[in-house]
Parts: sequence; structure tokens; C-alpha cells
Amino acid sequence: MAGPYDIFVLVKQVPDQGSKAGINPDGTIDRAKAKRMLNPFDRYALQAALHTKKAYGGRVTCISMGPPPAVEILLEALEHGVDRCVLLSDRRLAASDTLATAYALHKTIQWCGRFDLIFCGLQTTDGDTAQVGPQIAERLDLPQVTYCEDFAIKDDKLEARRIIEGGCQHVISQLPALVTVANSYHPLEYKSFRGTWKVQNLQRHPDELAQIITTVDLDKIGADCDRCGLKGSPTIVAATEKVGDIGGNCKMYEGHSPESMVTEVLKSSDVKEFLRV
Amino acid sequence: MTDEQKPAPQQPEAAKSPAAEPEVMPVHETPRGNVMVIAEHIMGDLQPVTLELLGAARMLVEKLGTKVIAVLVGYKMEETAQKLIHHGADVVYYADAESLQVYRTLPYRRVIVDLLESLPEPPHVCLLGSTTTGRDLAPRIAAHFETGLTADCTELDIGPYEHKNKMDPSKLGLYPDCLYAIRPSFGESLKARILGPWKNPQMATTRPGVMAPLKMDAKREGEIIRIEPKMQERDWRLQVRDVVREVSKGVKLTEADVIVSGGYGLGSADGFKILEELAGCFENSAIGASRKVVDLGWIPYAHQVGQTGKTVRPKLYIACGISGAIQHRVGMSKSATIIAINKDPDAPIFKFAHFGIVGDVYQVVPEMIRQFKKTMSSDKKPGVEAVVHSH
Repeated sequence: MAGPYDIFVLVKQVPDQGSKAGINPDGTIDRAKAKRMLNPFDRYALQAALHTKKAYGGRVTCISMGPPPAVEILLEALEHGVDRCVLLSDRRLAASDTLATAYALHKTIQWCGRFDLIFCGLQTTDGDTAQVGPQIAERLDLPQVTYCEDFAIKDDKLEARRIIEGGCQHVISQLPALVTVANSYHPLEYKSFRGTWKVQNLQRHPDELAQIITTVDLDKIGADCDRCGLKGSPTIVAATEKVGDIGGNCKMYEGHSPESMVTEVLKSSDVKEFLRV
Repeated sequence: MTDEQKPAPQQPEAAKSPAAEPEVMPVHETPRGNVMVIAEHIMGDLQPVTLELLGAARMLVEKLGTKVIAVLVGYKMEETAQKLIHHGADVVYYADAESLQVYRTLPYRRVIVDLLESLPEPPHVCLLGSTTTGRDLAPRIAAHFETGLTADCTELDIGPYEHKNKMDPSKLGLYPDCLYAIRPSFGESLKARILGPWKNPQMATTRPGVMAPLKMDAKREGEIIRIEPKMQERDWRLQVRDVVREVSKGVKLTEADVIVSGGYGLGSADGFKILEELAGCFENSAIGASRKVVDLGWIPYAHQVGQTGKTVRPKLYIACGISGAIQHRVGMSKSATIIAINKDPDAPIFKFAHFGIVGDVYQVVPEMIRQFKKTMSSDKKPGVEAVVHSH
């Protein structure tokens, strides 16, 4: 017995770090103005989910938590071929730390119904913690495979390779399970014409789109508001300080030919000492 | 899909009415607990990050006046338990079973959760490495105990905190002995001090290479307490079929004298070819990379330098087309000499590099290679052929 599977994939919209939009002069970020994108790590999770559907059959549900513009990444996921999306959006989620985020997402997952596999990106580019995936697994009492590089499903069991320091582990896990996908997994395939066309069509028919992308709030999923947002977060950012300049006296070479600038650096630095003899 | 933390709004009402009398803050005196380090090993080989964490834990207990306790889960690791004491642990809780020889999330989680629940009071602080093991295990323990966990800290300290946010009145007040978990904040040249004093253990992970281990002291004494693992059927839902340990090829990033590193400014993955040629000019050199280009798949993760990559301190670091975001900086700022090449004269990297060249990587690097090779051939001893190696 194998497949079809109920496959969930979790995605997040993050600020685009490559873009200078929304970066204030003091180095802080204006999230309202910053360009937004699908968290790069989630592309691998999305690929893993779509691959599972293609190889073993099933249905892919894409879940996200964030303010209303996060619908952009869900549309992107639809173009790639996911079957339905759920967006958890609620002002009371503001300032959630990883524990509160994992609480809210696990309630969303339970609201969505039964699942065999949950795929997450390894981490996000804005939080960098890699904590939410395992914290959801803990709340749902699931086995987990973090840093997963590759996998297959045999006899309703997940056979996976996960990265460890200086090597890898091959593991076999019962389903249901939660997997965080490393960026050494296969990159996300290009959107198909059909997918793009389908989404363009849907956007012309808001009623149909609302059937496929469901937006829910904390009341709808039956979450305890005291365990979400700032109130449900055991950690707070108590203070931020500007990082002092370490050297502060960088010797700058500017506006001359590359040849003369390199000559100057070679002359005044200790580069020579490390050259091959 | 992780946290989105912003500094907590600090009492906006007070700002509006400066005449308001400051209230007397309650003081939340909690007993000062021990500092726990969860030891990490790969099939019995203790990982260096554990010794580094013990060093950090000792620094913290000096301020708290309590003990460093280590937890070791494995099989036939008595010597390692002793080693933990020699490196700073006062007490080692040791769970020994053949089924625990290889790390697995659920069984290790069970042993540690059971231990923490059996202690008369929870430790003040609990530390793990930001490794594939620590980042797998720490969030599960934190979620089980509903306590705060800060990832990838670059500094740890103990100090007071006054909570003034009135959103939850029960939290108001002064907390005298908080764990300060300090980490760079996203995309900003800011360090964030993250606290979670309402509940112990206050948890944090740190990257390998960030904290300093203590010197081994074979005279240090401590207590080894054996704990009996009590597994449940559901802890075995995942089996490890095998563990493959790769023999590393080439110079390790963390051991190189010279690192030539590339960032988004290279424009494409091809840019690393010219960096390899530059690295070839040096003895004991390696290639590094910024997070951005690793995310883009231009180069494998093993080359990533920075907060979520490797921490390096080479004698010479040449940053090519790297803007120098704080996440990168914390991984390489201890390099003895930093040379930066970037088109943008305002790139943050020039604020902490020692030598900065404003220019196109594709003009400057070939020129470097040309001049370095010339220097090498003029320095060569008579009779030695000037062969230039490139990786």
C-alpha cells in the first residue's frame, strides 16, 4: 500500500534582502516598503511537496502565516502546482516569536485536516532560526527529519538522507512525519504555462479563488489568543545596539586604475607573506 | 516561516504623559539555577562545540554562583563524561544504552525531557550547539517546556532586565538574572539582545567556533550521575539505517590561512572560477561565500561564512563583491587582515575591512592574480621553476 498522500507544505513571505527598497539609512528595515519574496529555503520544501505528489499521488496544501500580502506567495505556489492554500492572517499574531508561531501554525494544520507529510524550509532568511519546523513537530507529536537532502517513500515509510556535520544519516521514518528540506535538495522546477494560466484565470474570478485560497483567523482555527503574538512569546527583543565598527580605519583605494590600486595594497598589506613560494 | 520579532513597544502611554509618576516595579526574584549544557557527539566522537559551550557556561555560573551541569546521552562514553568534567562541568548526567549510540531526535528528546522533569527545579539556562543536532533537538525541548529559545547567539551574558510593557501586567517588573542571548538582527547592522526571563530554562544555541573552550584540567573534579533511560514505544518511530562520514577534501574553511570569499557582486556562479585562481596564489587557502550566493545555489553550503555558516579567523580574508551584512561579518571579522573589493563605496564591508578597493571584481581580481604571480616568480629561489598552481 502506498499513496496517495495528504501533503502539507509551509511557506513564509520574507523581505527581499537583495533589494535596497525599504532599507532605512540607519540600517533598519521598513517591512512595509521592502520588496517581498517567497523565503528562498521554502522553494526546496515546495519542490519536495510537488515531487511527492507527482511520484506517489496525493494533494498538496500550502500553508502560510502572515499579513494579507502573503497571498502573493500562495499565488506563486498555485502557479507551481499546489492544490489549495490556507493563509493564517490575524493582527493578534504580531510580534510572535518562534514558539508562538509554531503554536499558531500547528493549530492551522489541525484545522486543515489529516496529513501524511509536512514539508518546511530549513529556515527563513529573516529569522534564521530553523526552530519553527521542529517546534511544530513537537506540538503535533511527530517524528521529524531535519536537514533532509533527499527522500523516497517505500511501503508507506519515509526513507531520507539528512545532513550531519561532516557526513549524512540515512533514516527511515513512519508517517505522518515532518521534514525540513535543506537547500542541497533539488531546486524548484519552473512554473508550468498551465499553472500560470490557471492562476491568471482564477484572479479574474475572485469567488473561485477564495475557494482555493482560504484565509483564516485565530478564531476560525480555534487558537488560544493568549498563546499567540507578543503575549504568547516567551522571548522578546529587549534591546538592540548598533554594532560598533571594528577597524573603522579602512585604507580606501578609489578612483585609480585597478593596477595601481592593487600595487598599493600589495605594498602596504602583509599579503606577500602568504603567497606560494 | 520562523519568528518575526520586533522590539517590544515600550510603554507608549508613559511617553505621552511624562508627568505620570513612575510606578514601583515588582521584583521577580527567582532562585538562581544551574547552567546546563547538552553534549553533542557523532557516534561517540564528542563535538568541539560542547567544550565551547562548557566554557561559556562557566562564565555564566560565575555570575550566578551556581553549577555547570552537562547531559550526555550515548553508549560507552564514560571517558567522554570525564572529559566534560575536565573542561568545566561540575555534574554530568549520563544516559548509557546501546540504542542511544547514534543521535535520534525522539529518544534523545525523551531522555532530556525526563531528566529536566525529574530535577527539583529547572536549570536557569540550557545551551546547545547550533549544529544539525542542536538545531534539531533544542526547539523540541523548548516547545515541550514552552520556554524561550534563541538561535545562533554570538554572545551570552547574565544581567538584569526591567519589563515595562503593560500588555501583560503579570510580566511587569524587574528580573535580576536574565540570560542575555545576543545575536545579529536580520539585515541590519544591529545586535539584538533577546531575553525570556519568565520561564526557566532560558535556552540558547551558539555556532561552533564562537565561544572559547576552557583549557583541559585533568585535576578538575566533578560528579557523574547515571540516569536510566525510560523509552516509550513511540520514540522508535524513526530508525537510523546508517551514518556516513565523509573524508573532507581539500583545505577546510575553518583551518585555512587565507580565504578568498565571493558574494552577490560576482554576478553569477562562474565568478568563483576567478576566485579559485586567486586562492591558488596562496598557501593553505580556501574559498568562502556569503549566504546570498549559497541560497542562490552558486556554491555549496559548506563554503558559507557567517552567522548561519562557518565562523572563520584566517590570517588573510579577501572579500570579493560581498556587501558585508552583519550576518557575514560575525563569521569573519576576527580575520587578521581583511581586504575588500566592492563596486559600492558605501558597502558596509568597508567599515570593518583593513584595505578597501572600490572597483569591479572582474577588473581588480585579475589584476591581483597578475601582480601576485609576478611577486611569486620574483621571490622564487634560484633553480626553482616558477610553477603556479591553481586549484
